[in-house]
Amino acid sequence: MSKIVAIKRFTLVGKLSLFFIVLLLFIGIFAPCLSSYTHNTPSGESLEAPSRDHLLGTDDLGIDLLSQIFYGARLSLIIGFSTSILAGLGGAILGVLSGYYGGLTDKIIMRLTDIMIALPDLPMMILLGAFFGPSIKNIVLVLVLFSWTGPARIIRSKVISIKKEAYIVMAKSYDASFYHLLKTHFLPEIMPILAITTIKITSRAIVAEAGLSFLGLGDPTSKSWGLILNHAINFKGIYFTEYWKWWVIAPLFSMMMLILSISYVSRDLEKVLNEKL
Amino acid sequence: MKKILKLLSLIVVFTLILSGCSQKAQNSEGSSSMEEGSSPEELEESTKDESVEVEATSKTEPLTLNLEGGDWGYPTPYAHYARGPGIYKMKLIFDSMMETGEEGLIPFLAEKWDIEDSGRSYTFYIRKGVQWHDGEALSAEDIKFSFDYYKEYPPVMDDLARSKKDYIEEINVIDKYTLNIKIKSPDATLLERFGTARIIPKHIWEKVEDPLKFQGPEAVIGSGPYKLADYSKEQGAYKFEAFRDYWGYKPAAATLRFIPVSDPILAFENADIDIVAITPDILSKYQEDPSYKIVESPAFWGYRILLNMEARPELKEKALRQAIAYGIDRDELIDKVARGAAKIASPGFLPIEHSFYNDNIKKYDFNLEKSRSLLDGKEYEFSLLTGNSNAEVRIAELIKLNFEKIGIKLRITSLDMKSRDAAIKSGEYELVLNGHGLWGTDPDKLRIFYNSEFQETPGYLNEEIDALSNEQLVCTYPQKRKEIIFELQEVIAEEIPMLTLYNTSGFTVYRPEKYDGWTHVFNHHEITHNKISYLIME
Repeated sequence: MSKIVAIKRFTLVGKLSLFFIVLLLFIGIFAPCLSSYTHNTPSGESLEAPSRDHLLGTDDLGIDLLSQIFYGARLSLIIGFSTSILAGLGGAILGVLSGYYGGLTDKIIMRLTDIMIALPDLPMMILLGAFFGPSIKNIVLVLVLFSWTGPARIIRSKVISIKKEAYIVMAKSYDASFYHLLKTHFLPEIMPILAITTIKITSRAIVAEAGLSFLGLGDPTSKSWGLILNHAINFKGIYFTEYWKWWVIAPLFSMMMLILSISYVSRDLEKVLNEKL
Repeated sequence: MKKILKLLSLIVVFTLILSGCSQKAQNSEGSSSMEEGSSPEELEESTKDESVEVEATSKTEPLTLNLEGGDWGYPTPYAHYARGPGIYKMKLIFDSMMETGEEGLIPFLAEKWDIEDSGRSYTFYIRKGVQWHDGEALSAEDIKFSFDYYKEYPPVMDDLARSKKDYIEEINVIDKYTLNIKIKSPDATLLERFGTARIIPKHIWEKVEDPLKFQGPEAVIGSGPYKLADYSKEQGAYKFEAFRDYWGYKPAAATLRFIPVSDPILAFENADIDIVAITPDILSKYQEDPSYKIVESPAFWGYRILLNMEARPELKEKALRQAIAYGIDRDELIDKVARGAAKIASPGFLPIEHSFYNDNIKKYDFNLEKSRSLLDGKEYEFSLLTGNSNAEVRIAELIKLNFEKIGIKLRITSLDMKSRDAAIKSGEYELVLNGHGLWGTDPDKLRIFYNSEFQETPGYLNEEIDALSNEQLVCTYPQKRKEIIFELQEVIAEEIPMLTLYNTSGFTVYRPEKYDGWTHVFNHHEITHNKISYLIME
């Protein structure tokens, strides 16, 4: 219920962005039904200009671009959401543990986050991507490895500050278990912050996947937006032909729209939740 | 109250003036310091420019050719990368007794040669007055030394191939400019092997015990038309300068620069580089303009898929190999990936434009029905390794789609070019897609690629191929040798131990106004790789 209220207080841009994300989610889920062509087999001549048959034209292999974009939406969202959920969940658990227990646990976990923050993430991602081999599962794992520190630190400081509140001290003195405290006191306080940090991870993950694919470190046969762009830009002399008008712009535009939408939603969410806090 | 107001307004005015002043002061300071900082360099540059201009007007303008860069290793015979761009940079520095010309081999360090004793004795007459880059004179001793050195330490491109099985009986220096080589048994390929082996200076390399690590100014002293002036591994940039005391043909450019570019065609448009390979899609852009010249490359560069029969013994079955060969739509690959600028590769390896090409061999046109009947309902799964270039990934993708239709599943992994090359060397693959040049050289390549001695296809052995490829090597009658090689291609096409895909025949465009000396040779695809392209030949 409270969530719907929160959405109502979004700005117009925020609402539009949310609508776009939901639309993309819908497209991603129903990608195979929405397009009359497959995303991985040729269905026309190579490099056909946009027409009624192929709304966004075809790529060099003659594969319909619109269906690739649809399918790419699915990949981008899978990667974005699974990374953010895994990283958010893992980060939150570690953050709560570290904040609640303190002492050695806290020290170990915090030094770990220090290490992960100090490591330059893009070179490490390239290295690990090359080491583990390119696949979507590996990309998600590598991204999670570098994204859990944000939520962990924020959650930890939140837990530490709540822990000192009188009512928690009181509850503890009545021998409340960690699980009970977590459920009734910590979680409701943590959730809004966690939501905002995870949404930020989503957009970062989508960009990182596109970046890795663009560098040729993604799964070479997947049809993610980054890879479509990679193939397009590496097509020799594409800017001296007219192919870029559909082949480069379609994935670029989709990606920009998604990233923009996510950042608008996270901005609005932050505003609304901050008021509540 | 009034007084206070007055005071305030005064203060305001004063601060305004002051701030204005200080801003001005800052500005003038800033600009003067900037001038100071840049002036010496700028001055130097402008004087340099002037001197160049003066030279240009008084004599002919010294030509600087700019080409696409990239790191291809240090240009010594031991440290360059084993691909075209690395090989030819090394060849610019190191001469050999012969070089490849437009029609055939042309004399370089050797003025002439005699073959006697029915192919068992080679005598080379070395050119007089040839200097190394450090001023020492080149003699027959250097050539004997190079040949012996390569026996102990095989270079990257081991044309001589003496290290494993030595076929040379003795090398005699008859006098300072005459060399005689006696060999154990006749060999049809030897003249070219002797002729194109790079000659290194004895007075430098005789002290070198670890040639792979030998780098620095001494390591790049050769007798070739160009000297290495600068090399940056990180940037992938090279600078070569003409060798003023070169013995013969004049170096065409005073300076050759290899500069890193992100998009070669864009760089060519901006005149950052002077020559570029283009695809048919943008051919029309240059065709009508007379300030450009377009040349089509001979199709001596191609893609092939190697089958590792040690890793996957089921590939030893001929039926499976033939089924795979029928399952590849080469026309589609050429159409979509090469954009039409390619020719179907012969299943007997030697490309259509090769003088030994046999057209009368088994062909594998795309035929899913035949493929299915050969497979007889069996299903397979293989992993296909490719490089990460666009073309390779696209080829793999298209092949995968057709293989699915005949019941063969392909898992595609892509690595960067150097890791893929290393994987081929160490045999860590099941199927691997490799694109490379040198398809147009001596047909003895068939022996190196198919004879079980070399294990180009790990785990493959065919006695007929072994026998024929060894026979052509010792056959010194050209017509008879050609017949053997024709027969060899027939057997190879039937056996199909590796899958040849297509040979690219791309286009190269340049501005003839700047430099018009680009020349194709008889056996190589890439115009910029030819040494004679950088020389004024008479």
